[in-house]
Amino acid sequence: MSTRPVHPAAAGTLSRRSLLVAAGALPLLAVVAGCTDAPPGADAVTPAQVDQLAEQVAVQEQLVAAYATAFTAAPDLAAAGTALADQAQAQLDRLRAAAPSVTGSATPSGGTAPAATGDPRADLRARVAAAAQSHATACLDFTGARAALLGSIAAGLRGQDGQLA
Amino acid sequence: MTSPSPSPASTSSSDDGEAGSTRAETAALQEALAAEHAAVWGYGTVGAALAGADRTPVVAAAESHRDLRDQVAAVLTARGADPVPTQAAYQLPFPVLSAVDAARLAVTLEEGTTSAWVWVLDQAAERSVRETAVAAACAAEVRAVSWRPQAGVTPVTTATPGLPAA
Repeated sequence: MSTRPVHPAAAGTLSRRSLLVAAGALPLLAVVAGCTDAPPGADAVTPAQVDQLAEQVAVQEQLVAAYATAFTAAPDLAAAGTALADQAQAQLDRLRAAAPSVTGSATPSGGTAPAATGDPRADLRARVAAAAQSHATACLDFTGARAALLGSIAAGLRGQDGQLA
Repeated sequence: MTSPSPSPASTSSSDDGEAGSTRAETAALQEALAAEHAAVWGYGTVGAALAGADRTPVVAAAESHRDLRDQVAAVLTARGADPVPTQAAYQLPFPVLSAVDAARLAVTLEEGTTSAWVWVLDQAAERSVRETAVAAACAAEVRAVSWRPQAGVTPVTTATPGLPAA
């Protein structure tokens, strides 16, 4: 999965615990494969968490699609929001890397999508806020690097929400 | 003198315990507390460099960091740990001579606290701590987004605040 957060005391200097993708992915793959000797630790996940990660990937996929829909409906929004859309895609890429078994077929279960208002910007903002809330809530059910990733993405989307206001 | 960002905590983390352990969580909370101390101090400098009318968000941000600082200190005390104190002095990462400098410092402070709270998420054992951490990281990033335009920082938003680039 994606890189871990950098220990604050080392930020900008040396990444003391900059474990790469395998640190989180290997325990996950072991669970998926039915292995019983997956190494314990904060980055290990249960089968239920695998499903939950798939849901968060689906939430993010829907957000990326919502950006495309909004840009089609409001080209002026595209001019201002391309960077936001690129960041949403980057978040999706990192989520997928954290959940390598996910195929993208999951359906978000955390409530229905916000109702459309006919205002592309307002609709997009509602989608961003809903995705942020979904990731923030899901973050609480994880530990280790995945909790950090979900929480960080939630924070990033809160920032986007403010930009779209 | 200690730089206000990143976290001024000097805790050696090589023996903080495995991520997800109570010991690691406590160590990460100490780092977050140190970052909040630095933010409270730093916003004093930010406010001093801004005109009165521009200080409203400074007051609000400083109050938020003070509240969080006190909350974390109480959590640490309740579990028998000695909360890290504020430093006697901090070293500014750059001279703050203008409103733009002040906004840059505010961005630096918010990004420092975001990193500290995302680190808490990585290390946390308890759900309640993760609740505090994700709320704090979100709030800090929202404030950072509000300061970056004034600081001339682009892009204004970040995909994964508190995490190293992919």
